[in-house]
Amino acid sequence: MTAVGFVPTQLITIDALGVALMLFVVASIIYFVRLVKGPTVPDMVLAIDVLSYDLVVFIILFSLMCDSPLLAVGALPLMLWAFLLDMYVSKYLMRRELGD
Amino acid sequence: MVWLSILEAIAYYLGLIMIFVGGILDIIAAIGMHRFKNFYMRLHAATIGTIGGAFYPLIGAGLVALTMHWMGVMKYYVAGISFTSAFFLLITAPVGSHALAQGAHKSRTVLPEPVIVDRLLEDEEGGGIEK
Repeated sequence: MTAVGFVPTQLITIDALGVALMLFVVASIIYFVRLVKGPTVPDMVLAIDVLSYDLVVFIILFSLMCDSPLLAVGALPLMLWAFLLDMYVSKYLMRRELGD
Repeated sequence: MVWLSILEAIAYYLGLIMIFVGGILDIIAAIGMHRFKNFYMRLHAATIGTIGGAFYPLIGAGLVALTMHWMGVMKYYVAGISFTSAFFLLITAPVGSHALAQGAHKSRTVLPEPVIVDRLLEDEEGGGIEK
């Protein structure tokens, strides 16, 4: 625990994670264009899925950057919500009802 | 103790590399969502966006979080959330995209436009395959 020779310090790690976070922000913006101009409903739902998965990664990296672990609580329900949205949209498209 | 330090260094750099590769794959998938011209083709790009753009960075974030000594005990908390999210994403994301494709095809919301033959549509409309 004491002799940490190879791992860099906190500031260097925060800088590296911030550079990686920018990649996800750029990808989210490009996905959002597809969400706005998607021709059909399944295109929009697919874009929302990938956007929410990106948001999960964004939340966890941001909680690592800000040094506050309580931010990472919302990651798992957000990801399961995207799966639930898939299931309900496909069921509604097939049978025109939401079911139980 | 030296071996523990070396293992920490391996986990740190491997996690950082996985995060960066995931970000680049995510941008590639986002460009692919615009360059494919059909919903069923965009499913391929969405697969790259989920597995390459969300599963790899979650594993990498967990590995990086395990080496952060300045977070105290809470580093295990963030790492656990990352690994659990990655595991459930690996299970639920392909199931969700398959269900979406089935719903889109069965309700005829999206028809595959540049198509040669669509046997599933012929089966559903009652036209048989002549032998």
